[in-house]
Amino acid sequence: MPRQLSVPAGVSACAVATTAKEAAFRIDYPLAAARNTRVVALDADAESIVRAAAAEEWGQARFYSTTDPGHELVTMDGDAVDLAGELEDSNTVVMVSTNGQNAEAAATIGAACKVRGIMTAGLVVTPGQLTSEALVALRPHARILLVPAEPDDLTELLRATRA
Amino acid sequence: MLRTEINELLTQTGPGTPMGELFRRYWQPVLLAEELPENDCPPVRAKILSERLIAFRDSEGRYGLMDEFCAHRGVSLWFARNEQGGLRCPYHGWKYDVTGQAIEVPSEPETSNFCANVKLKSYPMVKLGDVLWAYLGDPEKQPPLPEWEFVTVPEGHAFTSKRLQECNWLQALEGGIDSSHVSFLHSGNLDSDPLFKGSKGNQYNKGDLKPFFEVVDYEGGLLIGARRNAEENHYYWRVTPWVLPNFTMVPPRGDHPVHGHFWVPIDDEHCWAYSFDYHPTRHLTDVEVAAMRAGMGVHSENDAAYRPVANKDNDYLMDREAQRRGETFSGIRGIALQDSSIQESMGPIVDRTKERLVATDAGIIKARQKLRKSALALQEGVEPVGNRPQDQKVRSVAIVLPADQAFVEGIGEAMIAKPGVPQTTV
Repeated sequence: MPRQLSVPAGVSACAVATTAKEAAFRIDYPLAAARNTRVVALDADAESIVRAAAAEEWGQARFYSTTDPGHELVTMDGDAVDLAGELEDSNTVVMVSTNGQNAEAAATIGAACKVRGIMTAGLVVTPGQLTSEALVALRPHARILLVPAEPDDLTELLRATRA
Repeated sequence: MLRTEINELLTQTGPGTPMGELFRRYWQPVLLAEELPENDCPPVRAKILSERLIAFRDSEGRYGLMDEFCAHRGVSLWFARNEQGGLRCPYHGWKYDVTGQAIEVPSEPETSNFCANVKLKSYPMVKLGDVLWAYLGDPEKQPPLPEWEFVTVPEGHAFTSKRLQECNWLQALEGGIDSSHVSFLHSGNLDSDPLFKGSKGNQYNKGDLKPFFEVVDYEGGLLIGARRNAEENHYYWRVTPWVLPNFTMVPPRGDHPVHGHFWVPIDDEHCWAYSFDYHPTRHLTDVEVAAMRAGMGVHSENDAAYRPVANKDNDYLMDREAQRRGETFSGIRGIALQDSSIQESMGPIVDRTKERLVATDAGIIKARQKLRKSALALQEGVEPVGNRPQDQKVRSVAIVLPADQAFVEGIGEAMIAKPGVPQTTV
């Protein structure tokens, strides 16, 4: 049977609904709460990137590092915190690495996120290097990786996702 | 989410705008070669980057692209006669050559030098492959001619089409970068479309619906790698290159031709989707070309003005029964129109202050950042990338690699186009 090539265009049809004029009738209301993101630095250079980002104003994002040999999770103020507790209300975790240190911490965080259904992202901040230890450390545990990321990619990602 | 001023910066491409100036550093598709099929054929209107132009092919086969309107009284030269080496305005007979230079003003005395001072703004236009390319920027900054593989393969290896898309160019481009929508919007086509079906890669695609992504920043733009589980300790990678500002390639499937797109701004609320298929080492078969002409693969069935037959005026011929039966995921037939319908539904220029991006949108986030930085850097005198031959000799790749190997390392030179070398595909 031949396809029908035209149908009556009513007031709800795409031809009307997709115009710039009609955009004025889109419901305008404040968006719901921002994404609840946790950002974790995995080494000392990554910590300085995360610390710079933490200094900006965010909705619900919180920032940590786990750069010591014991992989303890600490806030930017240096307070040790419990990973499980910090993940409680989160729906996204961003891990930042510059050199692949603390791969075990990345694995621990990745596993904790997996069982909780938390999205994981990784920034491999190794300017000019397409492959690196940092990539190897993050890859198994981040559903999306930026390689090589620039330091300002962290704030770009957080802003874009309304963190 | 983007601030309003950044959304405007990225979406406005008229003369004098930052993004418009960036686009004017690149050769852009302006027409299909079939639109000017022979010498002295009718002229064609060719609006691009918010400039209304007229294109024609003179008696000697030279191509001209210039201001659409006669310098005398502003008549559209679409009404002109293309005759004996120039385009003659039908109103009073003023005639222009392919450079826009007036060569006859009949009302002037025979010995008058008046027409020497009349010149329409014009741009260089060349035929490469199936496409006519134009450069609208500063002549002193004109880059080398394009060397995209789809226009440099032997005749018969490539097929190019175009379709009107009734939304801003960036909405369309972002669809080309966003690999994650394929598992949903286009999921009905992998087994049925003659230009996709039958590849081993399709099995990996369907066996792992939650791919991981790696967005790799490389010199010409981005490489977006989507990774799915393959055999034990191996991943199936599909690598999509984006080259600044508006070129994307879809990873190949089996021995099917490779395809991709240019998303060319017409004005801020419309763009052309130029869609190509090519095979590096063989002619396209009659069956493949017939499928492309019929609107399969990344192509569409269009009217004479290159507007898809299924369009917003007929609700894209939405077929709810086919959607219910699972033949199409969205109810719209064909990959091209599935994309168009979704992207046009967002409005002519989507309000990106209202969007809710997620981490898997990192490719889009990064592309916007690179576009913004390139446009702003150009204002400071920093020339952009993407217009150099080395940026354009790029290929998409589909490959199975060991789980511990970085995909850029694993694909090696497979992403570099080399004459006579087949694409790397699964």
